[in-house]
Amino acid sequence: MLTTALSGIGPGGYYAVIAVLLVLMAQLTRVVNFSQVAFGMFGAYISVALMSGQFQQSIKIGIKLPQVVAVVIGILVAGLISALVGWIIAQWLPEATGTARSAVTVATLLSLISIAYILFGSRPQPFKPIIFGPLMELPGGIVITKISVFSISLAVVVAIIAKIVLSKTMLGVRLRAIADRQTAAELLGVNVKLMNVAVWFFTGAVSGLLIVFIAPTQSSDIFTLSMLVVPGAAAALIGAFKNIWAGLIGGILLGVVQGFFAGLPDLIYIRDWIPIIVIIVFLLWNQRKEVWDVAR
Amino acid sequence: MSLANRVRLQGSPWKPVLVAVATLIVGLALTAILPDQKWINIVTSVLVASVSLMGLGVVTGSAGMIALCQLTFAAVGAWVVEWLFVNEQLTFFGDFAFVVYILIGGLVAAVGGILVGLPALRLRGVNLAVLTLGIAAAVDLTLLKTGFPAFVAGMRVERPFNLGPSSVASDRGYLAFVIVAVVLISLMVVFLQRSRWGASWKSVAFSERSTASSGTNVRTAKLSAFAVSAFLGGLAGGLFDGQIMQGNAYSFTTINSLGMYVLSVVAGSYLIDMAIFGGILFILIPEILKVFKIDLQWGNVVFGILGIQALTTNSNLGQDIRNAIYKRKMSKVPPVELNLAPVEEKKVVEVPQGTGRTILKVRDLGVAFGAVKALQNVNLDIEEGTIVGLIGPNGAGKSTFVDALTGFLPHHTGVLTLEDIELDKLSPSRIARVGLRRTYQQDRVPDTLTVGAYVYFVSRGKATPEEIADTLEFFGCPDPTVPLRSVDVGTRRLIEVAANVAAKPKVLLLDEPAAGLSHDEHIAFGERLRSLPSKYGVTVIIIEHDLDLVRSVCTSITVLNFGEVLASGSQEDVLSNPEVLKAYMGETELL
Amino acid sequence: MSLVLNDVTVSRGVGPVISNVSLEIKPGEVVTLVGPNGAGKTSLLESLSGVIRPSSGSITMDDVDITKLSRRKRSRTGLQHVEQGRMIFPSLTVLENLRLTAHSKADIEAAISLFPELEKRMNSATVLLSGGEQQMVVLARAFAAKPKYLLLDEMSLGLAPVVFMRLLPIIQQIAQTGVGVLLVEQFAHLALKIASDSMVITSGHVSYHGDPKKLLDNEELLRKSYMG
Repeated sequence: MLTTALSGIGPGGYYAVIAVLLVLMAQLTRVVNFSQVAFGMFGAYISVALMSGQFQQSIKIGIKLPQVVAVVIGILVAGLISALVGWIIAQWLPEATGTARSAVTVATLLSLISIAYILFGSRPQPFKPIIFGPLMELPGGIVITKISVFSISLAVVVAIIAKIVLSKTMLGVRLRAIADRQTAAELLGVNVKLMNVAVWFFTGAVSGLLIVFIAPTQSSDIFTLSMLVVPGAAAALIGAFKNIWAGLIGGILLGVVQGFFAGLPDLIYIRDWIPIIVIIVFLLWNQRKEVWDVAR
Repeated sequence: MSLANRVRLQGSPWKPVLVAVATLIVGLALTAILPDQKWINIVTSVLVASVSLMGLGVVTGSAGMIALCQLTFAAVGAWVVEWLFVNEQLTFFGDFAFVVYILIGGLVAAVGGILVGLPALRLRGVNLAVLTLGIAAAVDLTLLKTGFPAFVAGMRVERPFNLGPSSVASDRGYLAFVIVAVVLISLMVVFLQRSRWGASWKSVAFSERSTASSGTNVRTAKLSAFAVSAFLGGLAGGLFDGQIMQGNAYSFTTINSLGMYVLSVVAGSYLIDMAIFGGILFILIPEILKVFKIDLQWGNVVFGILGIQALTTNSNLGQDIRNAIYKRKMSKVPPVELNLAPVEEKKVVEVPQGTGRTILKVRDLGVAFGAVKALQNVNLDIEEGTIVGLIGPNGAGKSTFVDALTGFLPHHTGVLTLEDIELDKLSPSRIARVGLRRTYQQDRVPDTLTVGAYVYFVSRGKATPEEIADTLEFFGCPDPTVPLRSVDVGTRRLIEVAANVAAKPKVLLLDEPAAGLSHDEHIAFGERLRSLPSKYGVTVIIIEHDLDLVRSVCTSITVLNFGEVLASGSQEDVLSNPEVLKAYMGETELL
Repeated sequence: MSLVLNDVTVSRGVGPVISNVSLEIKPGEVVTLVGPNGAGKTSLLESLSGVIRPSSGSITMDDVDITKLSRRKRSRTGLQHVEQGRMIFPSLTVLENLRLTAHSKADIEAAISLFPELEKRMNSATVLLSGGEQQMVVLARAFAAKPKYLLLDEMSLGLAPVVFMRLLPIIQQIAQTGVGVLLVEQFAHLALKIASDSMVITSGHVSYHGDPKKLLDNEELLRKSYMG
């Protein structure tokens, strides 16, 4: 049980990265980005296609790119699609509520998944692993995989970069100003649209980076990958979509708890429901002090 | 008179019934002439999908929330129907057992909806989206592991009324059954939308604050919307199960739930005809793609892009069509005007004098926002039957005062008492129900209702339809059947006043009610205000900048400045007080 | 070269909130706009800075028509709008607020020199400051942008009169550096004293436009427009 629990650190790392990205998006662009992982999924699949030289059997690209190039392009594509969606929202819903803006990402989630099915088919893709295998073995037979170290490190690095940018750079000052009072920032000449698109690009690209690395190491079909946004959101809820570190640690813990239940074959169904239980618990917890929003 | 007025408030019940009967006849004729099983099944699927979409229309279109697990509720409904069938429950219902199964399936789904909704609904609507997406995905995985009862038992569900297993005759008969069911369900939805429930949904989608101030608990309104949508989803699932007779997880996937949500937004499925149109799109587009051997996923791509378009422009097909028809109709009809004529000479009422009893007590009211003290040491006694004016320069704390009184600032200090009820710990909707009502400075009247439906909703059954019609006429407001979106904002705010008066509160707080009225209308409004205490037994507190209006209606005046009471007393005393003038003009002793 | 409003009317769904305003603000001068609440003064400023569009009329800045220009562009070409209610960015420090608009350290220093009290609060989050200090921050922030025209919406709101009186000479100083200032106030006397042109708005209409001294001398006129 302990082994299975600790093996959950791997997925926990993915949840941590996704949670960090979701919190950043919520804080800086007022959106709960349901397409967060779908962007990364799409970029990862593009990189596989570029490496194998074709989309589905029928659609050939003609060239096969080396892995490094294909991966970089995949990450860029993820960032660009994300930036496009961000631009659409910033252009047409600049002053809309978070709910209205987030609803758009539900529609884009649907579109991305279906376009991915069309381009890449529903059979599993031959992802070439970039890093795989164990990093080291601890006493007691517990194995720490390279991928889990990678994802947790990625989550930590992104959180630290975010902290540094937001607190020490002019870009960060502008982003925080927009998050505080968008109209006032605009009146001071801040380019709100560009800043928004930049954040979307960054989170989309990081999402691409994550998926490109983890897709080879687990059952990765288009849908399952995109749905990683759910446990990611559960983790983000632990920090009420406001606290990056709570989301990060919450993600890892979520993975561990899931792993624990995976080791209990009688309770196999519970494993799928752990994120929901976490979501419900933290929704109830976050509502303790209800405050009336002036705007509503 | 009374039935006629009730009709005018909520709309005539006969039109939907007539439409239902006509649809029934047309539909049943259709079942007779459809050529083969393929088409019979397509039409059946369209109708089943429409029921699901009607449910989504309630929760997203009417109540403005994002719900991503509609097909999960359908799966629940189907699962329950199968379980009841396989375990031979309630067989004493005979031929009608299947109908009972479907209803139970719907109810179980509704209970599920309430459980899911409870944690998610007090905060922003996005939380519900996260939760429902998660549930859809989790149920997907669980159903894949457990399977549906009929399949597991190696059986097929029996259709009702001895229709027998799938055949042309049986499919036709089942289609007829589905048509009857859908017509009845649509009627139920139409009447729900017209009831106070439906009004509460539209109100909560527009403004949560004003919904609470109308005495309706916001969470209850949202929960009822979600439960109804779950119920409809469950019914759809049960009907679907009768069609395919053996459910499986692939019919109720998360992707299709997403597709259905997006389609609901695109079509505007809170309107029955648009729900059916959405059902047609949902079923027919994949069929068309199959014919042209195009990947079925393109259907979802199209839905997704249409969804992005609908969401970014905040419009939907149903609304666009109705607007086009409406514009053409309205170009022939003059715009709705306020009919606020001056009161006849002999009916002119004097400024009301009170009964001498204190009805509202404010003791040491204080409100702080961080380090800033918005209100401090505010003490006030409001006398029953009077009109009290609350004036003061901008930023003096008047709006904060109203918010504190009506429950929107639970962290205030001090004690607020209405007669013998302490208001401090009560929620805003409770305070409204207990007899303290308010209107808003900004427009917070949902434009998706008619005048009558809105007033009926706000007055919470405290007034008979005659009294409502009377009050509307008294304030010169338009006819109850007029839709609010064809009324200008100034008139809407007057309707808000009339609606809250009709609720027969003990105390009514009016926040700049006359903004947006012409000069003459100001005077006519003032005349009516003066008779409020005697005609409706209500004590009025009015915030106004128009000092002419204040002078013409108020028994007493209280002046706020920098969050404290500067002066309080009769009109003559207060308005001739040099301190008050200085406060308005910014002078102080320092100059 | 001035900021010109040409017969501007602003509507807000209710109908016109303020109608037919024609006004010119010249560099280096202070124009004061007074009137009781609900008169439409804030809406007028918002139409100038681009928060809302006027329903009719035009606005030109230094002979360029800006009526359809975006808020950002108007700000970048020299129009600064200091909104009502002290719109500081709560989580940002004083210094960070200033760095949003200043182009150089010199700009920041010039702004601080007007408000020396802010010197020791440079690294405090602005949410912790007093009302008066917050008002200074938004003024300094606008000044650091080196604007050509400055729109000030009811600085006095919720401020102790002492504080407000201390800010007025600073407004004059700012004007003297060549900035055209449009000062909107509900507290007439003090604001009129520093103006070279004035306008009174009552119930959405211009009820007086002319020499502020005449207005100050005529108590009746002023009182009537406020108290009715």
